[in-house]
Amino acid sequence: MVRRPNLLAATTCTLSSPPPDMHFHARPDWHLPAKTVTPESRYRERPRARREFLRKLGVGAAGLLASPVLRGATEGFPAQINDAYTADGLKPTSYEAITNYNNFYEFGTGKDDPVHYANQGWQTEPWTIELAGHIRNPGLHDVNALIRQLGGIEERVYRHRCVEAWSMVVPWDGFPLAKLVALADPTAEAKYLKFTTFVDRSAAIGQRSDILDWPYLEGLRLDEATHDLAFIATGIYGKPIPNQNGAPLRLVVPWKYGFKGIKSIVKIEFTATEPRNTWQDMAPHEYGFYANVNPQVSHPRWSQAEERIIGDGFFAGKKPTLMFNGYEAQVAGLYRDLDLRKFY
Amino acid sequence: MLVPLLVLPGLWPLWPLFIRRDFTVAADPGKYVLHHLGFTAAVLLAVVLTFSPLHRLWPKSSWTRALQRHRRLVGVTTFVYAALHVTMHFIYEGGFGTFATDWSKPFIAAGVVAFCILAILAATSFNAAVRWLGGKRWKGLHQLVYIAALLVIYHQILARKIFPQQVLWIFGPLALLEVLRIVRARRS
Repeated sequence: MVRRPNLLAATTCTLSSPPPDMHFHARPDWHLPAKTVTPESRYRERPRARREFLRKLGVGAAGLLASPVLRGATEGFPAQINDAYTADGLKPTSYEAITNYNNFYEFGTGKDDPVHYANQGWQTEPWTIELAGHIRNPGLHDVNALIRQLGGIEERVYRHRCVEAWSMVVPWDGFPLAKLVALADPTAEAKYLKFTTFVDRSAAIGQRSDILDWPYLEGLRLDEATHDLAFIATGIYGKPIPNQNGAPLRLVVPWKYGFKGIKSIVKIEFTATEPRNTWQDMAPHEYGFYANVNPQVSHPRWSQAEERIIGDGFFAGKKPTLMFNGYEAQVAGLYRDLDLRKFY
Repeated sequence: MLVPLLVLPGLWPLWPLFIRRDFTVAADPGKYVLHHLGFTAAVLLAVVLTFSPLHRLWPKSSWTRALQRHRRLVGVTTFVYAALHVTMHFIYEGGFGTFATDWSKPFIAAGVVAFCILAILAATSFNAAVRWLGGKRWKGLHQLVYIAALLVIYHQILARKIFPQQVLWIFGPLALLEVLRIVRARRS
């Protein structure tokens, strides 16, 4: 069991002592065992935009770093991972690798581009997200207020499998997407969710050229979105999610390839028909709507049977990719009537 | 002067790996080295192929003549980087296990055929080979390098999820020179 300080109260960034509440959660079966959390050998500076936002609120950056109690609203829980689960010894990827090895084409196509270009004045706080479409509760939400309204954030360690055949293990902080869906209150017509990323050609250098059809779009079936595993991340390793990882709100659907995890979401629209997603538009024979991790269905240019483990050094081997990225027991039921070769 | 220029790209990965300790590179160092070696081979291939058209366009320049004299050295170095790239591929993939299936992917197949062409050209790069084949046949055989270049371009484009701009600046100047050479040849 892990002590979970209620950080909701800390959303104003003025708290001086830890809140007294303690929550005890029984871990559901999708929880990854993680006895040995990789220590952060080097503390990376938090994104400047957020630091400045906090400074505006009267909190000095130095004080912020010194005190573990002062937190931004989208900052996660301490990186204390439940050590009751030690079965197969999966180790979370280091914070450095998670936050320096990114695909975020809005900020360039190199893996090292986002960490550089997403932290040059791009503002991710304050941030609003719009809920729209076939719902009873449409409207704009400030991200910090939204998190408070949804009951705060929790930590989950998920496998992350990129369509490029590499993988990480990420301790995310955030909230279940189902909570947001419940808040939106979909009507009977709503069958899908369409997610949209920001467009800002002045801040996002990648958006200045039409390498993809901006803005980046993604979609989920409503039953996928309300599955307990579907998650909106607001933090990594107990820190606010860095810009390059999709601040301040980013979709995490661990049984699907990473590109489904749309970053920096500005709008979620509930639709009656299947929305297009950016990579499917780009190359429909290579990327589909579902993008479920499936070792038996190859990408036309490379095999998906194995994956490279990021951060394991020069001679890091590959390991077999698991059906639905290891979440088969939880999600296979969603696709019982679906030909996974056809709907890849 | 030329030799350090040809060796330095091979040593370059030491900088981000061990001195700058770049986190992005450290996340998947094998892939970085693999791509770097392939990239270097592609650049050298594009560079060495410009020597002939440059010489043809400016035959009196001492520069183009000097480059033309070093064609073999740069060409063989290109093969060496390609060979290191292929070797690194097998190290990175952990052996030959997946090669049988990878072969069928156009991306890998194009790279393999291009490498085989470069290997044949390197093997016949000695004076003795030129004498043995005879100038005309040797030249004909070495025209295969243009097919290798086209395959390398294809291989590079397929390596990424979207069209990599670098292909344009690596092979663009060469394409331009070839067009100029053809235009010149037509006029005269």
